[in-house]
Amino acid sequence: MTMEHVTAAILAIAVLISAIRLILWHRASPHPHWLRLAALLVLQPTCAALLFLALYPPPIPVEGGTFIIATAGAPRFTPNAGALTLALPEAGPVQGAEHVPDLATGLRRHPEARRITVLGAGLTPRDIEAASGLAVRFDPPAQGSGILSLTPPTAAAPGDSFDVGATVSPTNNAIVELLDPAGRVTDRTTPDQQGHVRLTGTARAAGNSLFTLRVRTKDRTMAQASVPLVVLEPKPQRLLLLAAAPGPEIKYLRRWATDAGFDVTSQISAGGGISLGDAPIAINAATLGQFDIVVIDDRSWTALGGQRAALMAAVRNGLGLILRPTGPLDAATRSQWRNLGFALTGANSIAPLALPKAAPAPIARTRLGIPTEILPDDLRLPADFLPDVSRLALSPSSGTSVALLHDAGDAPIAAWRPQGRGRVALFTGVDSYALVLTGRTPLYDDWWRGLIRAVVRPAPRLLSPPAISWAGERVALCGIAPRASVEQPAGRAIALQPVADCAAFWPAQSGWHRLVTKTGGMSFYVQPGDALPAMKSARNRDATLLLRGAPTTAAEATRQAPGPAWPFAAAWLLVSALLWWLERSRIGRAQPARSSM
Amino acid sequence: MSAESLFAQWVAPARQRSVLDIIGLALPVLAALSAMAWRVFGPSVALAMAVIGGGLALLIARKRAISHDRAWLIRRLDASRPDLEDSSALLFLPPATPTPLQALQRARIADRLDQGSPHDLAAPWSRGWLIALPCAAVLIVVAMVLWPRPGEGPPPLAPSQEGIAAAPGLPRLIAQNLRILPPAYTALPRRDSARLDAQAPLGSRLEWTLRFDPAAKAPRLLLVDGKPLTLRRDGDSWVTGMTLDRSFLYRVDAAAGRGPTPPLHRIDALSDNPPQVKALSPALTLVKPGQRNWTPAFAATDDYGVAASARLRVTLAIGEGENVTFSEREIPVSGTGAARDRRFAPSLDFARFGFAAGGDMVVQLIVRDNRSPAPQEVRGPSVILRWPSARAPESSGLEGMVNTTLPAYFRSQRQIIIDAEALLKRKGSLSADRYLVNSGTIGNDQQILRGRYSQFLGGEEEGEPTLPTADAQGHSDGDGHDHGPPAKASAGFGAPEDVLAEFGHPHDESPASSLDPETRATLKKAVDEMWGSERELKQGRPDLALPYANRALRFIKEVQQATRVFLSKVGPELPPIDPTRRMTGERDGIASRTLPLASVKSSDGPAASAWRALEGSAAPDLTALGNWVRANEGRLPDPLALTAAIDTLRQSPRCAACRARLQSLLWTAMERPMGQALPRRRPDDMGARYLQMIQGGGS
Repeated sequence: MTMEHVTAAILAIAVLISAIRLILWHRASPHPHWLRLAALLVLQPTCAALLFLALYPPPIPVEGGTFIIATAGAPRFTPNAGALTLALPEAGPVQGAEHVPDLATGLRRHPEARRITVLGAGLTPRDIEAASGLAVRFDPPAQGSGILSLTPPTAAAPGDSFDVGATVSPTNNAIVELLDPAGRVTDRTTPDQQGHVRLTGTARAAGNSLFTLRVRTKDRTMAQASVPLVVLEPKPQRLLLLAAAPGPEIKYLRRWATDAGFDVTSQISAGGGISLGDAPIAINAATLGQFDIVVIDDRSWTALGGQRAALMAAVRNGLGLILRPTGPLDAATRSQWRNLGFALTGANSIAPLALPKAAPAPIARTRLGIPTEILPDDLRLPADFLPDVSRLALSPSSGTSVALLHDAGDAPIAAWRPQGRGRVALFTGVDSYALVLTGRTPLYDDWWRGLIRAVVRPAPRLLSPPAISWAGERVALCGIAPRASVEQPAGRAIALQPVADCAAFWPAQSGWHRLVTKTGGMSFYVQPGDALPAMKSARNRDATLLLRGAPTTAAEATRQAPGPAWPFAAAWLLVSALLWWLERSRIGRAQPARSSM
Repeated sequence: MSAESLFAQWVAPARQRSVLDIIGLALPVLAALSAMAWRVFGPSVALAMAVIGGGLALLIARKRAISHDRAWLIRRLDASRPDLEDSSALLFLPPATPTPLQALQRARIADRLDQGSPHDLAAPWSRGWLIALPCAAVLIVVAMVLWPRPGEGPPPLAPSQEGIAAAPGLPRLIAQNLRILPPAYTALPRRDSARLDAQAPLGSRLEWTLRFDPAAKAPRLLLVDGKPLTLRRDGDSWVTGMTLDRSFLYRVDAAAGRGPTPPLHRIDALSDNPPQVKALSPALTLVKPGQRNWTPAFAATDDYGVAASARLRVTLAIGEGENVTFSEREIPVSGTGAARDRRFAPSLDFARFGFAAGGDMVVQLIVRDNRSPAPQEVRGPSVILRWPSARAPESSGLEGMVNTTLPAYFRSQRQIIIDAEALLKRKGSLSADRYLVNSGTIGNDQQILRGRYSQFLGGEEEGEPTLPTADAQGHSDGDGHDHGPPAKASAGFGAPEDVLAEFGHPHDESPASSLDPETRATLKKAVDEMWGSERELKQGRPDLALPYANRALRFIKEVQQATRVFLSKVGPELPPIDPTRRMTGERDGIASRTLPLASVKSSDGPAASAWRALEGSAAPDLTALGNWVRANEGRLPDPLALTAAIDTLRQSPRCAACRARLQSLLWTAMERPMGQALPRRRPDDMGARYLQMIQGGGS
C-alpha cells in the first residue's frame, strides 16, 4: 500500500464521515433545505478529489530527450548541441551546465531524459543505478597511467608469504616494487606486456600492516599505493603424521611442525607392529574428525588397508590430506592416487629437482625476520653447495587438479584437488629435509606451509570486506549478523543496519577500520579518497562502458511523468472557497439569529 | 821564511773569516728551515734537511775559502799597500831564478811587509745579515713550535643544533665540540667532531667541550641506560670525557631536567675486525722434480694493522697406506709490506723438516692484528704441498674393487706408427745415416712405451733379453709371480726407507696381479710385438717394424676393451632381500615407544604487541619493549636506533612521526613465525552441498 493509497483512503473516509454528518444534521434540522444539502454533498467530494489530484497530479505522456552528463574530467566548455548539460559534482565548474548533486536528482528534475551522453571519465558507483534503463552514449577516454588495478592479499597467517597482484600502465621502462613497512624493497619486478605484475612479501606477527606498491622508471616515481595486509592468528591446527618407516624426512617434518605451533601426532611404523612417535591412535571417523590435516607416505597408505575408506570419508567431511611418496610408487598405489584425480603421468622414477632460484641477497634478507632460537642466521642463509633434493618424475597436476608448487624447471611438484568438503594434495618432492640442512629453511617452510594452506580443514571466518575501498564511497560489508558495528580510526564506533546479511557503510576517513560482530572482528583498510586515481577512473570507465550495451526500458515508447499540479490546486482553492462561502451563507437556513437580534 | 809559509800566514785570517761568516749566516737559515720541515713533514725530513743544508753551507764556505788564493792575495796587497810598490808577487810568487834586481826589490819589500797585519786583509763581517737572520730564525722557530696543531689545545667550538628555543632563565647548549682520540694502535689521528653524533673505534677516548647560555649550574650528559656523566667547568666551557666501550645514546641535559627534553645523540663504537688471511698459493701443489724447498705465500689484511711476526703451523704427513705418521710444529715467520696488507712468504727447506717423497706438507698461517691489549688471532686457510710417491697409487678398501686404470698410452703407439710411416715417405730425401738416426729415435720411443706397458706385467718385459749370467738372483722371469716395480732411488736421508723395495719385492700387490689372465696374455702379446717393432726400428727398418707396431696397437686396443669391461665401476651386488626371513630374529626388548619432542617457543611478544598498538591508536608498552630490546640486542639489526626511537616516543607520546619511525624500525626487529597457515573460509550451507554433490572419485 503506497502513500497514494493511504491518502486516498483518508480523504474518502473524511468525505464519507462529513456526508453522514450532513445528512444527520439535515434530518435533525427543523427547516431542511434540500438544495443546500445537495450542493454540499456534491462540493465536498469534489474538493477532496481536487486535493488528491493536487498532491498526486495524474501522469501525462512526455517527450523523449537527450542530455549531456558531465563527469570527472569533462571539458569545461561542452559542445551544447541543443541538449541540456547536467554537471555532476566531480565535473567541477562546467560552463552553461545545470549542476546537480547526483544523476538521480538530475533525472527527477528532467523526467523527459531518455538518452544521455556521458562526457569525461565515467559515472561513479553512486550514479550507475540511476543511469540504468537509459540509453547511454559514452566514448571512453584513453586508459590512464599509473596503477590500473591492485589486488592486495585477503588475509595471511603470521609469517606467511603473500602475493600482491597489480596492473600498471605504461609498461615500458616501468619497475614495480613492493616496499615493506620499514621502507625496504622486498620484491622488484617488471610488468609483462599487459602490465600485470605479481609481487611477493612476507608477513610478521598478527596485526595490520601497510606495504607500499611503487611504480617507477629509472629515476622517477610514477605512482604508489598502500597495500594493506591483515594478519590473523589461526587456531593451532592438529596434524597427524603417518610414516611407514623412521627417516630424516619425517624427523624434520615433525620438528618443523612442532616448532611452528602445530598440535602434532606422529605415528612412525618401525615394522613388525612397532610404532614410534606418539601414543598410537586408531584410524577411524571419530579420531580423524579431531585432526585438521593428515600427512601420509605411500607405504603407510598401502598399510592402511581397510582404514583407507575411513580416511577418505573424513577427507570428504573437510579433513586435509597430503600424500607424500617416498620413492617410485607401486602399481596399486599409483592407480589409487590416480583415481583421486592426480595425473601421475611420466616415469615412475626419481628425477633431480631444480631448486627455485633464490631472490637477490638484499631482497631475501627483507623477507626473513630477525634470527630466532630455531632459526639462527647460519640455518637460513643458503650454503654454497646444493642440497640433494629430488622429486618423483610422475607429474601430479592434471586437468582436474590445481598445481601448487613448481621447481625451477617448471615441473610441478605439488598439486591439490577437492574431495567433498576436504582437499587432497600430492607432494612429489623427495628428501626435502635436505633444504633445512643447507640453510634453506625458508624455502622448506614455504613449501610445506603452502601445502598445508591449500588443504587444511576450513574454519569459520568473517567474510572479507572489499579489497580496495575509498573514503567517501559506499562500502558493502557482507556476511554480518545484526548488532554489528564499525570502529573508525579515530576510535568512534558506528552501528550498522544489516539488510539480508549485508550492510552499507560510508567511511568518512581513511585508515584501518574494524568490523566488530558478535562472533569476532575483522580489520579492513580504507584508502584515502585521492588514492589510486587511475584505478578509480578505470573502474568508473568500465562500469559506464557496461551501461552502454545494457537493455533500455522503452527507449522510444511514450513515457509517463507526473503532470503539473497547479491547475488542480487552483480548482481546489476555488471549490474550497465556494464550500466555505456556502457553509457560512444563510441560504436555505432557518433564521433564528435574525429573530434573536 | 819560505814563500809558502808566508802565503799561508797571510791568507789564513781571510779564509777563516769567510768560512765563519758563511757558517754564521747559514745556521739561522738552516734552523728556520728545519723547524718548518719538522712541523710540516716530521722529524726525519727535518734532520735530513739539516744535514743536507749543513753540507751545502760547508761546501760554499770551502769554495769561498779556496777563492782566497795566491792571485787574490797579491791583488789585494798591491791594491791596499802602496808601500809594497806593486811587487808583492815577488814575495809570494817568486820566480825560479830571480834577477839581481828582483832579489833586491824582494828584500826591500819583505821588510816593509810586516808593517801591516794579515788580519787587515780579511773581508769584514756581513754585520747586518748576521743580526737580521738569527732574529728572523728565532721568530720562525718559535712560531713553528707554538703553532697549534689540529686536535691540540682548546678545541674550536661549533654552534649547537639542538633545536631548542631559548627560554629565559633556562640554560641551553649553544656551542659544542666532541674530540675523539682513537687508541694508539689504530694510528688514527685525533679529530674534532662538530656534531655530537659520531662513530669512533672501540676504545677511543671521547672528550666533550660544551658551552651553555645562560651559564648552567650542573649540566650532565644523560646516557640512555647508563650512569650520567657529570661535566666540570673549564673556563667558560664545560668538559667531560669517557672511554668508548660500547655504542650508546645520550642527551645533553643543560637545565637539570627543566624545560624541553633535548634530542638524543648517538655514538657508534666501531669494533676492530679480525684480520683476513688469504692464501696466494694454490690449495694443493705437487713437488716438481729437483725441488728442494717450497715458498707458500699468504696475504694478511686488517683494518688497522697486522703484526709483522706470525706463526706458521707446519703439519707433515709422511708415509703411505696405513703407515702414516704426522708431525706438527709451529715456526715463526715475518711478513713484508705495509701494516694493513702484509705478505708472508716463508721459505721451507725440505731437508730441515724431513719432508720426503710420498708425504704431504700442510701449512697454515696464524696471524695476529695489532689490537691492544688483546690482539685478535686468526688462522688462515691450509695450503698443501704433496710429494707424490714414485710408486703408482695403490687402491685400498672399497677402491679395491676398482682397478687402477691403464694409462692412456694408446695414442703413443699410434704416434709411433704415424712417425714410422712419415719416415718411410721421406726416405728418398734423407741420407742413409740420417734415416738410421731417425728410425733409431722412433725405436727409442717404442722402447719407452714398451717399458711402460711392461710395468703392468710386473716389469718382466723390461729391457732387452739379458744374458744368462746376469740372472744371478733367485728370481727369474716367469717364475709365477710379478716382481714389482724397479727399486726407486732413496728418498733422502732421514726419510723412512722402503725396506721391502730395497731387499725384496712385494708379491701380488702391483696392478699386474689384478689383471685377469686373458688380459695379461693379450698385454704380453702386445709387448712382444712392440719388442719386434723396436728391434726393426733400431736397425733402421721402419718398413719391417710397421707390421709389428700395427699388431701391437691391435692388441693394446683389445686390452683396452677388456679392461673396460673388467674395470666397470659398479657397487657391490647385494643378494636380493628374502622377505620370508624378515622379522624372524630375536625381538626381545623391542617395543613401541613414544619419542617426546619439545617445541621451541619463540618470543616475539613485546615487539609484536607494540606493533599492533602503533598500527592502531593505542599507546604501546614502551617499558616492556625497551627491556626486550636490551635482552635481545644480539639478534636485532640496529638495537641502538630502536632504543632511540623508543626514548623519543616516550618523551613525546603524541608525535605521529615518532610513532611512524618506531613502527618502521619495529618491522625490522620482528620474527617471521614459521609454519602457520590460514585455513580457507568454511563454505556456507549451499557451498558445502555443492561440494558434496560434485565430489570426485576416490578409493
